Amino acid sequence: MTQRELDFPALAARLRPQCEAIVARYEERRSALLPIVHLFQEHEGYTSREAMRFTADLLGLTPAVVESTVSFYSLFFRKPVGKYVLQVCRGLSCTINGAENIMAYFREKLGIGHLQTTEDGLFSYEEVECLASCDRATCMQVNLEFMYDLTPQAIDDMIAAMRAGTFSVAPMVQSDAPEKTWSVKQDLQVARGEKAAGARGVASPNNPGGLGDSSGLIMLDRFVLRDDAPSMRARSNERLVQDAKLVAEAIEE
Amino acid sequence: MPVVKVLTEGIGELDLTDIAVYRQRDGYRQWERAVRELQSNEVLDITERSGLRGRGGAGFPTGKKWSFLPAGDKPRYLVCNCDEAEPGTFKDHMLLENVPHLVLEGILLGAYGIGSHHAFIYIRGEFKRGYEIFSRALEAARAAGFVGKNIFGSGYDLEVTIHRGAGAYICGEETALLNSLEGKRGEPRLKPPFPAIAGLYGMPTVVNNVETLAYLVPILRNGPEWFAAVGTERSKGYKIISISGHVRKPGNYEVALGTTVRELIEIAGGLREGRTLRAVQPGGGSSACIFEEHLDLPYDYENMSKAGSMLGSGAFVVFDDTTDFVKCAFNLVRFFAHESCGQCTPCREGGHWLETVLHRFVEGRGLPSDLAMMRRVSSTVTGLNLCALGDSIEPFLKSVLQRFPEQFEARVLREVASA
Repeated sequence: MTQRELDFPALAARLRPQCEAIVARYEERRSALLPIVHLFQEHEGYTSREAMRFTADLLGLTPAVVESTVSFYSLFFRKPVGKYVLQVCRGLSCTINGAENIMAYFREKLGIGHLQTTEDGLFSYEEVECLASCDRATCMQVNLEFMYDLTPQAIDDMIAAMRAGTFSVAPMVQSDAPEKTWSVKQDLQVARGEKAAGARGVASPNNPGGLGDSSGLIMLDRFVLRDDAPSMRARSNERLVQDAKLVAEAIEE
Repeated sequence: MPVVKVLTEGIGELDLTDIAVYRQRDGYRQWERAVRELQSNEVLDITERSGLRGRGGAGFPTGKKWSFLPAGDKPRYLVCNCDEAEPGTFKDHMLLENVPHLVLEGILLGAYGIGSHHAFIYIRGEFKRGYEIFSRALEAARAAGFVGKNIFGSGYDLEVTIHRGAGAYICGEETALLNSLEGKRGEPRLKPPFPAIAGLYGMPTVVNNVETLAYLVPILRNGPEWFAAVGTERSKGYKIISISGHVRKPGNYEVALGTTVRELIEIAGGLREGRTLRAVQPGGGSSACIFEEHLDLPYDYENMSKAGSMLGSGAFVVFDDTTDFVKCAFNLVRFFAHESCGQCTPCREGGHWLETVLHRFVEGRGLPSDLAMMRRVSSTVTGLNLCALGDSIEPFLKSVLQRFPEQFEARVLREVASA
């Protein structure tokens, strides 16, 4: 793979013949949508707005229709992602074989949480659904290449090799241009050493809106409780007790 | 030994991704024979007589599925479903990566069996390596004249197109897959009309699993009687079982249907030292658990269904006594909630709220009333949706709630329990 091209019109002009060839494979033009978006993502590292607009024009669709379709699929990143996209399996077979520990180790090691990218743009981290390699649990994919039988030692080696640039998997095409790369602001308190580097980041490539896991502590702690809010926890427990009492009284009556 | 090698023959010993190696082992011989000597309906007849049932999950008789296509001149399509994502299943991409030519030959035979001139294979987006291997295999087969125009000089044309998915479990559902193939969001369609009548581009379409199509090759080679001779009364032939979880040698094992559950566990090396069995999920994330009392049941479609579960895609997950079933239930419910396309309210909302409630249990903050509520809600999300995803939420949860209520009760908030 090559360096991301920042000149979109040039890229589009270069890929147009390939896009036309893809369109020709199908009975209807729109069928080419996914393959064309894949093609641009392979060259740009993510699915840019320009790519979606180009696809729309080529297939005779509106950009909104293309974006709606693209947003349905979790492997289309609508924002730039890190050089290495680490997708750790959180499926059932991996979970009963220790995936939670592996995920915790990754978060600790990288300092980011589910659906976040490190500040240096090197790693994006995501906890994904069953990757269909349960016989080699716990497993993951790095830029869509499988890695199996994960252990903390294997993770250490892998990350060290990625940092050293000697890792065998091809990097995702990624801009080094900081204004294009979606990165993580360093917490001031962390920088001053007053606070441990937790997992903090901005919304994800896959999850541009809605409730995410900004803490990275528990992947789906969407609602009430967070470990840094003990008072809230106590209050909500009190309320649960209160509610249960009321229910019990109502039943007795 | 009950493990057999039919589709898995040569894997690990030979490089069957090389077309020359595959042809040395009689590869594409059945394809040549079909095109030169057999009529389409003869291939269909052989398939029907073999008793082959769909290996992707629903277990529908393959020949029968083909026979639903209406006669006429409309173009018709065969779509091979390689969007393998059912939790616990890992056989299809193993076939794709190791025996791509066998998969391709199966697709060609299937397409010929329904008289199609354009076949598609939908490959899950995550299977990048499988996609690359299969693409090379297809090019080699095209160069050898097995795919394209006027195959073997017979005048029969057949094109094969590879379509990559992009990360959506629901696209394994056949109508969602067709929408995705048409460049749309992978949302299931209202049925009827079924794909056999109006599928891809509104034309008659058959969607078959990778393993199903691959079995056509040995069935044509050895005859339908050979396949129908093994297995049980209504579950004929062989099946690749993906065994994982708490066993010593997890992996894909090809066996005759009707091998007992106990044998399957033994084939996979048995449980770890000093552990006892708590449950088996015999048919992927969508299936209910079976337990010790079912160990001697033959593993086939009818017996799994009698035991209150299903054979599904042959994903066989074993749980020993270290298992936290509350977490497992949360894990699977979260999976379905995450993968719900959101079209149908019971699935979208029901899955989401069950996930929320189960998360409460995982954290030890369940309410006493939650147990009854979960049973009620999980049955409410079932049977009311366009596709089977919503119906897949309940079985595992219900079976473990019933069997291991103490694990859930132990997670009820203590102050509440004593109040």
